[in-house]
Amino acid sequence: MEQFLQHVINAQILGGTYALLGVGLTLIFGIMRVVNFTHGELYTFGAYMLFMLVMPLGMNFFVGLVLAIVLGVILGALIEITLLRPIRGADIDTTMLVMIGAWIAMQNLEQLTWSGVAKSVSAPFPSDPLVIGSVSVGWDRVFVFGTAIFLIVGAHLLIHRTQLGKAMRATFQDRETAALMGVKINRIYTATFALGSGLAAAAGALLAPVFVVYPTMGDMAALKSFAIVILGGLGNFWGAALGGFILAFVEEFGAGYLSSGYRDAMGFVLIIIILIFRPTGIFAQKERIG
Amino acid sequence: MSRFAPWAVALFFASVPLWIGDQYFLHILISTGIFIIAAMSLNLLLGYTGQLSLGHVAFFGIGAYTSALVSLGFDVNLLGWTVTLAPKPVWVGLLCGIVLAGLAGWFIGKVSFKVRGAYFVIVTISFAEVVRLVALNWIDLTEGPMALNNIPPLTLWLPWLGETTFWRKTPNYYLILVVGLVAFEVIRRLVQSRLGRSLIALRENEPLAMSVGIDVTRALVVATVISAAIAGAAGGLYAHYIRIVDPDVFLFIYTVTMVIMVVVGGKGTLWGPVVGGLLFGILPDFLRDMAAPEVQWVIYGAVMIVIVFFLPQGIVPAVNAWLRGRGASSRDAAATPGEDRA
Amino acid sequence: MSAASPEPLLEIEGISVRFGGLIAIADLTFDVGEGEIVSLIGPNGAGKTTAFNAITGYLQPTSGEVRYRNRRLTGMKPNQVAGIGVVRTFQKTSLFAGNTVFENVLIGLHKAGKQTLAGILLRLPGMREEERRLRAQAQEVLEFIGLAHRAEELASALPYGEQRLLEIAVGLAARPEMLLLDEPASGMNPAETVAFMKMVQQIRGRGITILLVEHDMRMVMGISDRVVVLNQGVVIAEGPPAAIQRDPEVIRAYLGSGAARA
Repeated sequence: MEQFLQHVINAQILGGTYALLGVGLTLIFGIMRVVNFTHGELYTFGAYMLFMLVMPLGMNFFVGLVLAIVLGVILGALIEITLLRPIRGADIDTTMLVMIGAWIAMQNLEQLTWSGVAKSVSAPFPSDPLVIGSVSVGWDRVFVFGTAIFLIVGAHLLIHRTQLGKAMRATFQDRETAALMGVKINRIYTATFALGSGLAAAAGALLAPVFVVYPTMGDMAALKSFAIVILGGLGNFWGAALGGFILAFVEEFGAGYLSSGYRDAMGFVLIIIILIFRPTGIFAQKERIG
Repeated sequence: MSRFAPWAVALFFASVPLWIGDQYFLHILISTGIFIIAAMSLNLLLGYTGQLSLGHVAFFGIGAYTSALVSLGFDVNLLGWTVTLAPKPVWVGLLCGIVLAGLAGWFIGKVSFKVRGAYFVIVTISFAEVVRLVALNWIDLTEGPMALNNIPPLTLWLPWLGETTFWRKTPNYYLILVVGLVAFEVIRRLVQSRLGRSLIALRENEPLAMSVGIDVTRALVVATVISAAIAGAAGGLYAHYIRIVDPDVFLFIYTVTMVIMVVVGGKGTLWGPVVGGLLFGILPDFLRDMAAPEVQWVIYGAVMIVIVFFLPQGIVPAVNAWLRGRGASSRDAAATPGEDRA
Repeated sequence: MSAASPEPLLEIEGISVRFGGLIAIADLTFDVGEGEIVSLIGPNGAGKTTAFNAITGYLQPTSGEVRYRNRRLTGMKPNQVAGIGVVRTFQKTSLFAGNTVFENVLIGLHKAGKQTLAGILLRLPGMREEERRLRAQAQEVLEFIGLAHRAEELASALPYGEQRLLEIAVGLAARPEMLLLDEPASGMNPAETVAFMKMVQQIRGRGITILLVEHDMRMVMGISDRVVVLNQGVVIAEGPPAAIQRDPEVIRAYLGSGAARA
């Protein structure tokens, strides 16, 4: 029972960052129809930025975290403007190829800049874990979870309560009509990609002090984001958020009770099962065709 | 390109070991050849059906592991039963690898062709990742990260030569060349047949393809099976040439290499993967002294972006168009229905 | 006159299609007799293309069923519907744009071939024979439609009117017993339209039944045996062209929608 509760807590914490990754990716796909293969690299980028700001530069951890996210947003905007804007209107395969090229280039740039040796980031949290009954959680993880939830709710509010969000939703519904109604599509796309990238960078920066930072850390993050997004249905905001938690639970319990070696395989097995039985994701409404 | 071009190219490559004594360079050519075969199989999907398979290493790796395991023999505990397989001749292993890779392709095709595009991409990536984790964790069978060692080289009975074991570089070179030609011809016949037309039809306009009675899903599944089987053959050849297989054969970067070869050479053309494969198979070795692998990869990523931006059809169609332009001015030829363009 | 229509070939019985809460067609019922040319007309958004999609398997109706020679089409996939001889064209120009005119027709001839994998890989004589036959048939279709001189050009390079003809050629190559044409004359100039009307008659002359969706009223009234008028998802009139032209409800539907659009 104790073990069970511990797994539940662990899954919650992991699920927060998974949800963050998934929401970022699904926003970009839903609004722009782009499968963003650089998602994992933005995750890595966020982690390295936090490392740079906090470790060599000695900046306050929390200020560094905010700055790392901001830098992620800026990098996302740059990628959108330089790589995606010129091929606007191209089919999904073309954009995928470009994003794959960007992924490979970015990952190896990180490798060149910071070498393959893993870096660690220290965070100002008490070393005694938070103990609730028989279950204990590190404070760093509590902080990760809280911030992730805060950011997801923030993204939701941005999309539903602001003028920008309104334009994003209009674009999501129907790009041509939105353009006719005066929505600046290019600006919306850049904002969307920047927002999605910022969420990925946030996930990376949040996990940097919990794990270690290394150049290929984004690969698994990207693959898992894809799984999460498929679970929730491509383009579905809350589907992705929930999908993040589902994946975390499946992994945590699969690893705990079945086999830890296959921990990372759980998500992929899950999506293969989903695609057999419910190809549009668990939460998707029927898509309208034609 | 003319009907004799493959023979001319084959003849040229057949002569290579006669004038290149450098065993290391021969090794580079052999690895390149294996990659070209894999890239050709990827092209059948990416180029002709328009479906991007980002898990192609899975088929390659399944071919490599299966062929290696069948020729090494194994005994493994499966749900309480002990399954034992005595070592079999290498060619049996190769066939098993091809069949198993084809079956994997069938499974993936069945699962994901209800949904296409992004879903197919993600399913194939996921599949490759699952297979890699199995290779890493099923240590009883695969030795996990310790790798399968001492894989025997291929032994074949050949006319004139009798029983031949492919130990040395030169015979392996010819082996890859022959298999490569066979794969090229198989794909050529496929894409120029009614089945190939169905694949192209579905790439160009799926609703219209269905409206003339093409069973799109079936055509795609068949294409995936063949593509996977050829990739499996390449994997098997790799295993018996390198003679060691570890879970790293499933690394995503190898799929990316194949994708780059196909895209740069020209997807949906017969020669694209060959040209792209030669370029990206041999170039890295020349660049080795000038640039670290990371730098090279940054360049490859950038090349892929630049090609998609400025030469979206790839090198081969661009060269064809240029040749045709020159040809048209000199002889005002009736546009040759280039078999390559389809 | 309309009561005397021949044996029904295609029977559409009470089909409705709903998208979410939106009713695209409601309880649509009509049939098409063997050898007839029937036109389905109605203002924009009346549900004509939706009806085509529901008949040919591109979408499944919420209720009702479609039968062809007493076989249920509802529930079949589009390629199966085409397989039993009901072939449709599309409202927006729809071609294999990257292929030549000849290749387009060759792809259309899919059903006329049956190559096996072994035949393809081993280049068996039967397969080569079939390829020759398919090529001859493609040539024949192109000559019939009048595009033989364009055979080696890219489909995307044809002028608009010829692209629309090529679409018909692709449809004909699929050996239909029944052809559903979705606004085939849209974008054709008046001369092309007149020539096209003649061609539709010729196609019927080959024993092919035709269901037509068209906006060009001269064409509809000129070649149809019967006209079915659809408005807001329901049939409001059905009969020979002369009767339809006088039908007050039809006139109101058209004027009404025209006024609303203006």
